[in-house]
Amino acid sequence: MLKKLFILIFITASIGASGQGKFIAKNAYISFYSSTPLEDILGESNEAVTILNAETGEIGFQALMTTFHFKRALMEEHFNENYMESAKYPKARFNGKIEGFTKDMLNAPIANIKVTGLLNVHGVEKTITVPGTLGIENGKLVGTSKFEVTPEDYGIVIPAIVRDKIGKQMEVTVKANYLPFGQ
Amino acid sequence: MKIKYAIILGLLAILIGAGIGLKMFFKPHADINKLKTEFKVDASGLIGEFEQDENTATFKYSEKVLEISGKLVVKNKLSNGTDLLILEDEMQGISCQLDSSWSAANQETIEALETGSSITVKGICKGYLMEIKVSPAVVISK
Repeated sequence: MLKKLFILIFITASIGASGQGKFIAKNAYISFYSSTPLEDILGESNEAVTILNAETGEIGFQALMTTFHFKRALMEEHFNENYMESAKYPKARFNGKIEGFTKDMLNAPIANIKVTGLLNVHGVEKTITVPGTLGIENGKLVGTSKFEVTPEDYGIVIPAIVRDKIGKQMEVTVKANYLPFGQ
Repeated sequence: MKIKYAIILGLLAILIGAGIGLKMFFKPHADINKLKTEFKVDASGLIGEFEQDENTATFKYSEKVLEISGKLVVKNKLSNGTDLLILEDEMQGISCQLDSSWSAANQETIEALETGSSITVKGICKGYLMEIKVSPAVVISK
């Protein structure tokens, strides 16, 4: 009996161990959106890298600012040179943790989550809490989030002449299709 | 008479100014095919440079036009339709997102690419995030 119990514990532990590890998405989507009277401004990147720790619920995101593409070349130029100063601050980072994380969240249908962590944009770091979703969609682990940021909070100076034309807040959309990694 | 000329001159200046402004506003994205290659590199050598000193390599290559030769290890399509080619190493190699208009016109070339073979891509180096990001890119030889 004891032996059986021991084997059972051993098997359970090894299953647990095989489920350990991380999830990664190397081509995660991030966009910035702002509505202006002249036309909408949308910058999109499909090159963000994100890692989700399956044990702790910690999530890390990194994006290279120069990978954001805009409809107009001029917008891209302004974004990188005037606003984000991409040569000086090439990456944006987020390191956070899913609130009330349990491993079941990684195998369950899409559900709402909240993530709190440090967002570093333009060399300025701030703690933010953002809403999102996490769960299985078409057999794959998918994470999404939509939240607003105020450029001024991150020391991004928008000249007065265009300040009124760009919305006070930028809407950020994130979507990542995760794959298991480092089992 | 002088006033008339001044008005015409003023209007002309406004028109030229507006023209330049509009041209700048509608300036198209650079065509990767027509950009001059700044560095011709070997994939593993480029990875080595980034692994050794990311800051120096980023400063040297970021936003530059590179021709990179290496082994194709992954050929994939992202959910938005973008063709993705990865050189040398699936996790920590060189990730090239192909230019959408080039891709659309060259689907046959992309389909003919075989993983394991050596190819050369031309694209803009964006920097390093676990892997080297190159976009937009085009395949120039296989």
